[in-house]
Amino acid sequence: MSIKEFITTIPYNRISIRDLFTFEKSPVNLLIALMTLSFLAMFALGVAIYLEHGHHAYGVTRQHPWGLLIAVYIFFVVSSTGLCIVGSLGDVFGFKDYMAVSKRAIFGSIVTIVSGFAVIAFEIGHPVTMVIYNVLSPGLTSAIWWMGTLYGIYLTFMVIEFVFLLRNDMRMARYVGFFGLMFGLLAHSNLGGVFGFLNARPISNGVFFPTYFILTAFITGIFITFIMLGLRYKLSFPEEIKKLLTNLAKIQALLISILIFFVSWKMLTDIYDGLPGRADVASHILGSWTFWIEVVLVMIVPLVVILRKTGSNLVAIFWVSLSGMVGIFFMRYNLVHDSQLKPLQMLKNTEYQLAPEWVSYFPSAAEIMISLGGLGLCVLLYFIGSKLFNLDADAHH
Amino acid sequence: MARYAIALDYKNCIDCKACEVACKEENGILLGADKQRIWVGHAPIKGEYPFLDLTSNAFVPSQCQQCEVAPCESVCPTHATYYDENGVVRVDAEKCILCSYCMVACPYDARYVDDRTHTVDKCNFCSDTRLARGETTTACQATCPTKVRVFGDLDDPESEISQLLRVREYFTLKPHLGTNPKLFYLT
Repeated sequence: MSIKEFITTIPYNRISIRDLFTFEKSPVNLLIALMTLSFLAMFALGVAIYLEHGHHAYGVTRQHPWGLLIAVYIFFVVSSTGLCIVGSLGDVFGFKDYMAVSKRAIFGSIVTIVSGFAVIAFEIGHPVTMVIYNVLSPGLTSAIWWMGTLYGIYLTFMVIEFVFLLRNDMRMARYVGFFGLMFGLLAHSNLGGVFGFLNARPISNGVFFPTYFILTAFITGIFITFIMLGLRYKLSFPEEIKKLLTNLAKIQALLISILIFFVSWKMLTDIYDGLPGRADVASHILGSWTFWIEVVLVMIVPLVVILRKTGSNLVAIFWVSLSGMVGIFFMRYNLVHDSQLKPLQMLKNTEYQLAPEWVSYFPSAAEIMISLGGLGLCVLLYFIGSKLFNLDADAHH
Repeated sequence: MARYAIALDYKNCIDCKACEVACKEENGILLGADKQRIWVGHAPIKGEYPFLDLTSNAFVPSQCQQCEVAPCESVCPTHATYYDENGVVRVDAEKCILCSYCMVACPYDARYVDDRTHTVDKCNFCSDTRLARGETTTACQATCPTKVRVFGDLDDPESEISQLLRVREYFTLKPHLGTNPKLFYLT
């Protein structure tokens, strides 16, 4: 079979632009539609400002070169890896109970990483040069090179896996899905390595982030699965989905417990005996409200809600998954900001100014607009996909 | 082929900032405190009154440390940062994608975004200006009224810098990071 013939065998729904505006006009749906369109408009405006002013449109500085867009990129690619893990439970590892969400999760992993790429394209100063010299002059000691390259391969595998899932070719989906998952995990741990390799920044340096990224990706994937299925079934889940979500909720409780363990020991080892450059930064982080948002929304609230009814209170878990994603955003923002908190040049070098104690950063309007635009793009792509493809499990599942 | 380095008799620095001006003039660096390849840091007086350590209050001229194991070179995804034949860490603006990873990885805050090329820039010991013209000094060294800097080849045992480092004690910045800086602060 030629590639052309193969493509014609991919099942999809023929839709027109008008179909995209055909949805139940409930207040929630209208709110989501309005927000999505607003975010897309902001994206266009943010990009226009960036194209006019370059990085001067952002709040980044010499001391804090990575800002909100890096955090949002990480937010999206973590989501993608997480959805890939959730999707792989059924079609790669063969857990039949999770087959029902495989197609939706794999499609979600594609739209989230595409949204992440859309955001990072306006943070990297020369994205076209990047594509050229990533190939012509690869920096093999650079975690960014490995991350970018592996994510590119990962995305390719995810698209092929999704096509096989659409064609209901579970055998090929399993093979391709295995490689997709493997490249996804490798790419994602390399993203952790981008921070872990920073010898100059003791708060980030070490093995913690490459492993923590995989754990938090899985947690993020389960949060998003709850959100996707909650919206799909309007919180009135059929029995098969109830069973799937209850099991996922129990896994989530375990993962969050491990996360609490990880973060507690990270903080303890950071602070213990006051190592300069690490203990002081960790103490500063503990005093910041953004860290506690992360703790409350990602760790405490979801864990308490899930454990209260051992994962059977699915509607409540849907809501804490939504707030959990807000917490996950703060988790990514904190990671990027906290890595740069400690000034590397400690001496005063400008007149009429004290030596810096902490590096401050606040995102600019352009950064916020592009970030929200990424979210709008993600929702739009997911909506189009849900119209274009059958994302529910096929009948035999 | 050389192994260029700078020794700084930093206690002679009078913070006149002539080196900053000369660097900007020689290398066409844009104005602004954030757009600088070199700078003079002010070390504050240590201790509390009346136990003040007046000798700690010094001016500390600084710039890219020209590390032999440069974190900025390791993290660069496109080899835009590279070691030239003289061991100088340089930036190929053509290959720089402005991902800013080198700025985050540099332990010395020596890198900044150059608005002329929209790439990350840093001190390169005047390699594409004075050294390219065959001169043997950097702009910051040549202009300094108190002769703080001595630039030269570490591989040449007869060079002034090699002789200085044989007879004077010195320290390097953040030696625990293993970057092997080639800026030596004479004590």
